Amino acid sequence: MSASPSLASSMLSTMPASTASLPSFSLLEFQPLLPAAILAVTAMLLMLSEAFSVSKSRSYQAILAAVASVVAGFLAFQNTQLPVGLILDGRGVMDGFSSWITLIACFAAGMSSLLAFGFFRQRNAERGEFYGLLLFSAAGMSLLAVSNEFITLFVNLELMSLATYALAAFWRRSSRSVEAGFKYFILGAFASAILIYGVALLYGATGTTQLDMLHHQLPKALEDTPWLTWPGLILVLAGLSFKIAAVPLHMWTPDVYEGAPTPVTALMSAGIKAAAFVALVRVVLHVGDSSVVFLHLLSFLAAITMVVGNLLAIAQRNVKRMLAYSSIAHAGYILIGVAALFTANHLGNDVGVLSATNVANPTAETLRPMALQGILFYLLSYAITVVGAFGVLAAIEKREDDGAADAWDLNKLSGLATRRPGWALAMALFMFSMGGIPSTIGFLGKLYLFKAGISAGLIGLSVLGVLASAAGMYYYLRVIVYMYMKPSPETEMGARHWSTEFVLAASAVAVVLLGLLPGPLLDWLRQAALFAPN
Amino acid sequence: MNVEIILFFVFSVCTLVGASLVVFANNPLTSAMSLVATFFFLAAIYVLLYAHAIAALQVMVYAGAVMVLFLLVIMLLPLQNTPLPLRPSPARWVGALSTASVLGALIYASLQWQKSLETLTPTTQTTTMSQETLMRFGNLEEIGLSIYTKWLFPFEALSLLLLAAILGAVVIAKARI
Repeated sequence: MSASPSLASSMLSTMPASTASLPSFSLLEFQPLLPAAILAVTAMLLMLSEAFSVSKSRSYQAILAAVASVVAGFLAFQNTQLPVGLILDGRGVMDGFSSWITLIACFAAGMSSLLAFGFFRQRNAERGEFYGLLLFSAAGMSLLAVSNEFITLFVNLELMSLATYALAAFWRRSSRSVEAGFKYFILGAFASAILIYGVALLYGATGTTQLDMLHHQLPKALEDTPWLTWPGLILVLAGLSFKIAAVPLHMWTPDVYEGAPTPVTALMSAGIKAAAFVALVRVVLHVGDSSVVFLHLLSFLAAITMVVGNLLAIAQRNVKRMLAYSSIAHAGYILIGVAALFTANHLGNDVGVLSATNVANPTAETLRPMALQGILFYLLSYAITVVGAFGVLAAIEKREDDGAADAWDLNKLSGLATRRPGWALAMALFMFSMGGIPSTIGFLGKLYLFKAGISAGLIGLSVLGVLASAAGMYYYLRVIVYMYMKPSPETEMGARHWSTEFVLAASAVAVVLLGLLPGPLLDWLRQAALFAPN
Repeated sequence: MNVEIILFFVFSVCTLVGASLVVFANNPLTSAMSLVATFFFLAAIYVLLYAHAIAALQVMVYAGAVMVLFLLVIMLLPLQNTPLPLRPSPARWVGALSTASVLGALIYASLQWQKSLETLTPTTQTTTMSQETLMRFGNLEEIGLSIYTKWLFPFEALSLLLLAAILGAVVIAKARI
């Protein structure tokens, strides 16, 4: 036995020099990846279940997917207590922000798999692959939330997106679903190419793809090689803006949201939006301080996204399309919070109505946690609300209407209050929450986001946000008018399924409960935002 | 002007000619074969950059496997030799203008870069590598080492990505659901 140490050392000496620098990862570093691992393993199980399953019944698949999401979400919640720091040689980051986004992703995955349970059972289209892809997409979101390096970020973004392209086109009986998948794939691939092109240019300029190192290299790179760094930064931001559906790059949203099967639309608007925002926030947190241009750019994006999203939503009679445009508008509100991350260092740069005025002498130390908390709370509140809203649409959608031009027309909702009072009440709550009526979670989301905007001195932008959401009330209330004040048509309602009812009830309860008693949640989010690394 | 520079220009001109042929050829087979040529010359440029493993992979994966698939698809499609109509439309003009401006910006950027490299003092030129590091830089051993140590996280995530992509392709290609 005494020979073994010398043997080991002699082996070491014969190895190439670079082997000596093998990094040793501690077990703690893998803990933030645990939720994604659970999701991915369950996804593989579901995939294999199609190959080896002997029973005709596929009910267990949706349940298994939902249980995996709950377990992963629970682990993500535990991870919010982990110490903050870089993991896996700087490729990833472990902080409360990423854990909360993982939690939102797990919530979105669990809820949309339950929605899909009833939806696809009714259409006799349950498949294990669907739930597998859904969980792969959620795993991608969760891994995207911990990415701290461009290559990692790109790979995880693609994992999330590729799974979702297939999900959007999953229901091939409907030509709209195929069209949605195809459009999403082509435009999404284009956006990914733009993103990775920008990353390549930034690598050329700074010599690093790691975000925290980029943070230190960027000021010098902007000075030495501006003609390389600027195109790189703009291309990266453009690629990420596509994923969050900010306005010049929002064109895909209505078509894809409308065409995709409704449970998939719920996943996209709740989960993908949150995950894409975490990528955007991470990138701009590291590059945003280097120039005032980012503040102006993000403020401008926020302004046009809010205004255009709301204006286009007003014109829609198709409820699913209306919700798609409204999700663009909500991205605009969140962008106010993103812009508020940088005002502290750029006060007094006047650009008209969008400029930051110095109201309370904010410092980056007080402002950042406030803005991050606002963004997190808004993403969470929007996820809960939008899952419920698309859940109601999935519930009233009938099999005979598949592919019909007026499948989601406002008329389909008329008289819902007399025929399905519970659903109508839930939908009314979701619409109130999206519009920002007090005592719902959506109101608090807007409150904390605009509070961060005002504290940051983005007065013009916040006022614009309030005005835009007031205009948005028009189309949210119109849904309620149709449900409660229009006579009900003679047609039959679609079948009910317990899992759909569960999703509606759970989201409705969460919308009210968290709207009235947000205390503990706000404390947790504040804690998560405080320790987010810069 | 040393041999490397001359070779670089030969290879890059060939790559550009091949790439243009892919776009402008009327016959899809000509396009596909030009793409093979483009991949080969690109691989040669990788060799000049000391990235031998990437060059080998480029030839095996792209010029080999991917191109076979391309040709198979072309073979299966009923294609006529009709040239695509190149009518000017607003969308085409916008596309042409934006492509031209991106190209112009990139050419300008690379010219500026060239200039700044010349003005840099030797001490700030951190990118110069010793001959030994350069020789080891592109070989499989180095790539394997960095993939399984520094880049472990994205590498493993990539395997998930491929699995999800395969699953997605199977779902899309399956009988109607």
